[in-house]
Amino acid sequence: MTVAITPEMIGQVVISGVLSGALYAMVALGLALIFGVMRVINIAHGSLLMLGAYVTYFLYSQTGMNPFLTVPIAMAALFVVGVVLQRTLVFRVVDAPELSSLLLTFGISIALVNLAQNAFTSDLRAVEYITGSWLVGGLALSKPRVIAFAFAAAVTALAFLFLKSTRLGKAIRATSQSREVAMVCGVNVARIHLLTFGLASALAAGGGALLAVIVAIQPEMGGVWTFKSFLVIVLGGAGNYPGALLGGLLLGLVEQLASLFLTTQLSEVVAYVLLVLVLLVRPAGLLGGRQT
Amino acid sequence: MKGSRGVVAAALAVALVALVVYPVFGTGYGVRSTLQVFMWIALAGSWNLISGLTGYVSFGHVAFYGAGAYTGAILVTSAGWSWPVAALAGGAAAGVLALLIGYPCLRLKGPYFAIAMLGLNEVLRALVSYFEGLTGGGNGLSLPTADVTRPIYYVMGLLALAVTAGTYLIITSRFGLRLMTIREDEIAAEAMGIDTFHHKLVAFLLSAVGPGIAGALTARDQGYIEPISVFPLAITVTMIVMVLFGGKGTVWGPVMGAVALFVIQELVWAHYPYVHPLLFGAIIVAVVLLMPRGVLGLLQLKYRLPRTI
Repeated sequence: MTVAITPEMIGQVVISGVLSGALYAMVALGLALIFGVMRVINIAHGSLLMLGAYVTYFLYSQTGMNPFLTVPIAMAALFVVGVVLQRTLVFRVVDAPELSSLLLTFGISIALVNLAQNAFTSDLRAVEYITGSWLVGGLALSKPRVIAFAFAAAVTALAFLFLKSTRLGKAIRATSQSREVAMVCGVNVARIHLLTFGLASALAAGGGALLAVIVAIQPEMGGVWTFKSFLVIVLGGAGNYPGALLGGLLLGLVEQLASLFLTTQLSEVVAYVLLVLVLLVRPAGLLGGRQT
Repeated sequence: MKGSRGVVAAALAVALVALVVYPVFGTGYGVRSTLQVFMWIALAGSWNLISGLTGYVSFGHVAFYGAGAYTGAILVTSAGWSWPVAALAGGAAAGVLALLIGYPCLRLKGPYFAIAMLGLNEVLRALVSYFEGLTGGGNGLSLPTADVTRPIYYVMGLLALAVTAGTYLIITSRFGLRLMTIREDEIAAEAMGIDTFHHKLVAFLLSAVGPGIAGALTARDQGYIEPISVFPLAITVTMIVMVLFGGKGTVWGPVMGAVALFVIQELVWAHYPYVHPLLFGAIIVAVVLLMPRGVLGLLQLKYRLPRTI
């Protein structure tokens, strides 16, 4: 603990924080979309991310495909899973009390994790496609993390572009502002709900697919991602989609700083304390309330 | 109605006497299983106090169980406390933890509380591993050997009784009515002048003490604890399934759920450990969609039973 902290170390921490922050932002955007549009917190979000990671792992290990090219496949596959979940189960609790939707998605999450344990075993699996780092001006940039960052940033940008400029994206934002008014304007709300859940699942799956390249995966990896995604949307302000970007970057930075000054063992504790502090001081999020 | 009430009271008295004398002639396995049923009644009943009555879902109630287990175990091994006092201290520690988490999270309406509880057991597990000197870290903590299963049977039984009787007293009180008002419509509750934050906080505090004591008792009984044995998500899931199955927000629902699921678990599912969580997940989904008021809720509707059972 007596190691002197040099400017290079700070630079390294900032870079690492930004690199993981983009991934947080991408996954959290999915959770934020479902919450914004349906007022449902999807506890199974992390489990969908886990399934996305396995899609990439199996495509890579069975067919030898470039794992980065499997990202769109994982996203498409989980889009379908999300639509099916919404169509069969989740739509029934959209207007029910919060307790129902929380418990329902919690039940789905437990079932999915257990299915994965039975189908894929609990062994840690890794995609060792690319390793090592680039050295740039005294900073080491881990290659898989940089590429994952680029993918996450691109997908997130595309998602925002979709929300901002397409008719469907506008319909999603309109539904999230006021379901009744959207309905009056001719938006098919049930279809928007399907699309939102599918899109959110795809974003989670994209995060999982990229994670599979960075870290070893296992069926229980998702739980902490549900929690962190929620933390990101609380940081940014619930229902505030651009806030998810800021929240993701902030969480990445805080975690990396914590691992520099404390120990990586406590990084989850730091994230937790951060959540409690934000709820205590600024529960509406750093950017304030809903500005979809 | 009067007559049936007498029958119920007599049946309860008989059951109570049977449970009191059971350890005298029961087998070791039987006593231990009954002890576990008591523990599950206490845990499920406690979860019901916050989630069943106020509608605020706690996804991390195992944190209180684990906090109680570690507090009790550390006080017994390092400070040489006797186990009954250490168990009370375990309950107190869980209560303090509940206030620490409840204060920031229950001031707000909405899902904040549920998610904060979702992360809590992971945080405690990380802390236990970090403070290795005190907790033994991943190696766990062994308590001095002592054959106390029978005394713990009675104390755990008392705890289950206290949680159930406490639930009855709360549900039939004005305090309980206010909690249920919060569950049905929190904004209306506020408009009626209910201090919702403090009511939720007290309910949460009460719901944490039972699991804290139960954790400390179990730690003493088993003689060894480690992070994975006292902070598993599975314990929270089991509590939730028991309460949902029996009927949330009722006095007897958690008891029925605990007994029924424990028996089914021992007889049937123990043979299929790999699909056990899958079944629990499916039960949660099915109960939420098909019978949100649980088995007791169905019985209440069918036989016009009173609301306060």
